[in-house]
Amino acid sequence: MKKRALSLALMAFLLAAFGRAGEVTLDVKEHVLGNGMKILMVPKPGVPRVVCHIYFKAGSVNERPGITGIAHVHEHMMFKGTKVMGVTDYAKDAEIERRIDELMDRIYRERFWTTDGGDAAKIAGWQKEVDALVADQKQYIIKDDLWNHYMKNGGTGLNASTGSESTGYYVTLPSNKVELQMMLESDRMRNPVFREFYSEKDVVMEERRLSENRPGFLFGEQVSASFFVATPYHWGVIGWMDDLRKMTKEDIVEFNRRYYVPNNAVAVYVGDFDPARIVALAEKYFGPIPRGRDIEPIRTFVPPQNSEKRLYGEGPAPTSLQMMFHTPPDGHTDTAPLSVLASVLGSGGGGGFRGGPGGGSGRLTKLLVRDKQMAVSVSASSRAQWYVGAFQFGATPRLDKKVRPEDLEKEIWAEIERIKQDGVTEEEIQKAKNRGEAMFIRSLASSAGLAGRIGRAELHRGWRSIPADLEALKSVTNEDIKRVAARYFVKSNSLTAAYERKTGR
Amino acid sequence: MKKTLTAILAIAFVFVGLGLGQATHPDQLKYQALKFDPPDPKTFRTEYANGLRAYVQEDRGLPLFNITALINFGGLYVPKDKTGLERVMSDAYIRGGTRTRDGDAIEERIDFLGGSLSFNVGERTSTLSLSVLSKDLDEGLALFFDVLMNPAFREEAFKLSQARLIEQLRQANDQPGSVLSREYERLLYGDHPLTWQATRTTYENVAAADLKAVHDKYFFPKNIILAASGDFRKSDLKARIDKAVSGWKSRALSLPAFSKDFPAPEPGVYFIQKAINQGYVSLGHRGIEDTHPDFFAVQVMNFILGGGSFTSRITTKVRSDEGLSYNQGSRFTTRWGFPGTFSGYVQTKSSTVGYAISLILDEFRRIREEPVTDGEMETAINYYLESFAGQFEMPQSVMESFAMLEMQGKPMDYYKTYRSKIEAVTKARVLDAARKYVHPDKAAILIVGDWEPCNEGGEKWPGPLEKLGKVRRITLIDPMTGQEVKTP
Repeated sequence: MKKRALSLALMAFLLAAFGRAGEVTLDVKEHVLGNGMKILMVPKPGVPRVVCHIYFKAGSVNERPGITGIAHVHEHMMFKGTKVMGVTDYAKDAEIERRIDELMDRIYRERFWTTDGGDAAKIAGWQKEVDALVADQKQYIIKDDLWNHYMKNGGTGLNASTGSESTGYYVTLPSNKVELQMMLESDRMRNPVFREFYSEKDVVMEERRLSENRPGFLFGEQVSASFFVATPYHWGVIGWMDDLRKMTKEDIVEFNRRYYVPNNAVAVYVGDFDPARIVALAEKYFGPIPRGRDIEPIRTFVPPQNSEKRLYGEGPAPTSLQMMFHTPPDGHTDTAPLSVLASVLGSGGGGGFRGGPGGGSGRLTKLLVRDKQMAVSVSASSRAQWYVGAFQFGATPRLDKKVRPEDLEKEIWAEIERIKQDGVTEEEIQKAKNRGEAMFIRSLASSAGLAGRIGRAELHRGWRSIPADLEALKSVTNEDIKRVAARYFVKSNSLTAAYERKTGR
Repeated sequence: MKKTLTAILAIAFVFVGLGLGQATHPDQLKYQALKFDPPDPKTFRTEYANGLRAYVQEDRGLPLFNITALINFGGLYVPKDKTGLERVMSDAYIRGGTRTRDGDAIEERIDFLGGSLSFNVGERTSTLSLSVLSKDLDEGLALFFDVLMNPAFREEAFKLSQARLIEQLRQANDQPGSVLSREYERLLYGDHPLTWQATRTTYENVAAADLKAVHDKYFFPKNIILAASGDFRKSDLKARIDKAVSGWKSRALSLPAFSKDFPAPEPGVYFIQKAINQGYVSLGHRGIEDTHPDFFAVQVMNFILGGGSFTSRITTKVRSDEGLSYNQGSRFTTRWGFPGTFSGYVQTKSSTVGYAISLILDEFRRIREEPVTDGEMETAINYYLESFAGQFEMPQSVMESFAMLEMQGKPMDYYKTYRSKIEAVTKARVLDAARKYVHPDKAAILIVGDWEPCNEGGEKWPGPLEKLGKVRRITLIDPMTGQEVKTP
C-alpha cells in the first residue's frame, strides 16, 4: 500500500532527450516534504555507493555591503558542530560561547566603531579574557566531529562549496549508510551552533589571501566590480577583506535563520539505493524541520550602462585582454543562441573537455592562434547566471610578435561585426548543437556531477530545465545568432580590460 | 494533484518514520552489512592482434564509447638538452595530423561529433584518449588508430606549438604554488631527469623529427595497453581493433635504467623571495616507493598525521585550533619506479610562517614518539575499508587502473588484497612507519614568500627563521632568458 502511493508520488519523469543519440533519458524521482524541502533521486544500480548532496538557495548574491563573503563563511561554520555534534557538554559550552561573544562584541565596537582603532590597552585586556575562555572551551569541543563520522564510515568527496547563487554540501557514502548523512545534515539544519567563529574567520581570511596571491586575481576582482555595478554580483564569493574582518556572529545567525530553511533546500541522491527507503528516511530526518519564511528574490539587477567602460591594470600576471558584455539571465530566449555563439567562437575542442588554451576548432582560435599567430590563447564564453548574464572574451597576446591586447581587441570586434552581418555557418551551428547533446549525455555518467547539475537547476528553474535547455539549444537558427550578436555586442554594453605584466604587485 | 499526493504521503511517512527507530547520535545508528568484491582484472583482459593488450568493459548504461591507449613512454626518456619535447609532443601530436589526414580536419571532425580526442605525455607513460557517442564508434575508432599509429608531425603545427610553449615560459615563475612544488622536487632529487625543466634553449633544440623518432621507437603494440569501456559488444570491438592494428608490428626496445642515487639536501631553511602576503611552505624529504611492503602502514600513518584532512593532526592543530591557514597537511607522493616525496605543507600569512612550521615539526616529532590512539586508528582504517568501493564507480577509470597496474608490473591482485593489507596495519606498525619515514631532523624547509615579514615572525613565534636551521636563499632563473629573476 505504502509502496503504491510512493510510486505514484515519485512521478518518474522520463524524457527522450533526443532520438539521434539513442534513447537517453534523464530519469529523476522527486518527493516534496511537507515543509517544502525537495528530495531528488537518480537510482543507478551497480557499485554500492550513494552520492548525497544538499543545496541551499543561498550564495553571495544574497549578501549586501558590510557582510560580503558571509555565505561562504557560513558554509565553513556549518562544519563547526551543533548542539549534538562536536560537543561533550552543550550547556557548559554554550555558556562559555555566550561570554566570548559578549567580549568580542566589546572588542569589535572599540576597534571598528571608532575612527582611530580604539583603546589598544582595553582591547588587549578583553582579548586576554577571550583567549582564556577559548582555552577553557576546548575541553568541551570534539574537533571536526561531523567530518570524523563521515570519514570513518567511508565518506568520500566530502566537501562543501559556495557560489554566487547557491551553496552545496557533499558526501558519497556506502549504500547502507545514507541514514548517517540524513542524520548529520538534518542536525546541521536544526541545531546549528557557530562555535569557534572568530578563529574560523582567520581561516577564511587566509583563503582570501591565497586568492590574492594568484596572479591576476586582484585585477579580476576589480573588473567584475566595475562590470557588475549595483547588482550583488559586484563582489566575489570570498567577499571583501574589510567585511570578513568586521563580520559578527550575529550576522551569521541572521543569515542562517533566513536562508537555511527546508523550503530553500534540495537534497539529491544518486547511486545504488531504493528510492522508497530514501523517501522514508528523508521524512524522518528532514520532515520535522519547521518551514521558514518565504524568501524574496534579489532586487537589484544591472542598470543600463549607456557608455563603454575601459579598465587598465598591471601586475604579476600574463599580459591579457578581456571583453565583457551584459546579457540576460539564465532561462531567457537569448540564452541558447548566446551559448551556441560562445561555442562557435571559443570552442576549446574536445566537446568541452579539453578546453585548453589555444586548442580546438573554435573560430577565434583558428583565426588568432593558428592563422594570424597573434595570440597564445583565446576564449569565448557565455555565463548565463541566475539573475544577470555576461558574455566574455579572453585572450593572451603573442608578445614575441609584438602583439598588444588592443590589437586582439580590434580583431575580435572585426569578427563580431562579420557575425552581425553574415551570421555563422550551418555546420558551425550543428557542431555546437552536437557538442551540447554529447555534453548532456556525458554529464549523466558521473554521479557527483549529475547530482550537482540537477540540484542547482532545481533551486532555480527546476531540474527539468536541463532537458528543456537542450531542446532550446537544438532549435537555434542563424537568424537567432545574428539577432543576439547585434543586440548585445555593442560598445555601450561592454567593458574592455587590458592588463599588462609588470614586476611587483 | 501532486500536492494532494504529497500530503497523503506525508501522513503515511510519519508512521514509517516511527518504525525506523529513534537514534539521535550517529554512534547509535546500525547499518546492514554490505558486501563488495572488487572487479577481477582477469575478467576484462584481452589480447588483440600483434600482442596488443587491453582491458575492456561493456557498459550499456549510456550511448558512449571511451578508449585510451597507455603508452610506455614519458618525459623521463627525453635527453636533457631537449627537455620540453614531451610538452611539444603533447601539444602538437594530434594537430600535426597523420599520413592521410590533416590535423585541423581531425580536430574539426572530433569537435563536430561532440567527442574528445586528447594526447598527453606524462612522467613515464603517455595516453591517447578518445570519447565519442557510440553511434560514432566506427569513425572514432578509425581516427583513434590512425592518430595512434600514423602521426605525421607536420612542421607547421609543430612550429606553432613550440612558439606558444616558449611564450608560456614567461609564466614559469608566476604562481607561488608551482614554484614551490618545482623547487621542492629539485631540492629532493637534485639534477635528475625527474626534475629537468624546459627553457627557451631546450625547446629550440627540439625538432619535428625528434617527435617522429620518439614515435618510431616507443609506439608499437607490445609497448601499449588499451583500456576501453562503453556501449559495444566485446567481440565486435575485437574484430574492429584486430583489423585496425593488423599491419602494426612490434619492435625490440630496451628502456634505459635511471639512477636512484639522489643527493641528501642539507636540513634547514631554503627561501625563495616573492612579494606576496603569505608564505607557501613544504617541508620534508624523500619518501617511499609505493611497491614497498611498508607503504600501507605509511598511508595509514600519514592519514593520521596530515593526510586525512580534518581528521588529521596537522589540520586540527594548524587550521582548526590556531586559524593559521586554509590549506595544510602532509603527503607522501608516489611515482613509478622511484621513491616519492614526503612533505608537510601550509600556506599562511607572512607573520605566522615560522609558527605554522614549528607546529608541523612538532607533529612530525609526536607521531614518532608516541603510539597513535585507538580512535585515530579506527577512523583511518575504516576510512580506507569503507571507501574502497568508490574507486570502481567509473568503468573507464577502472580499466585504465588495470592497464596501469600491468604496465608497471604490479601484482594484478592489488585490489583484491588491498583491504586485508590495510587491516593488517597495527598501531605498532604505524609507529614503526613514522620512525622509519618521518625525519624532522633531516627536513628541508622550503618557503616561497616575502623575506622580511616572514623572517620577522609574530607574537607567538618571533623570528628569525634561523631558529629553524641554517637559512639559504634560492634565486630563481627565468627560463625564457636564462637570467636570474629580479624579485622586488
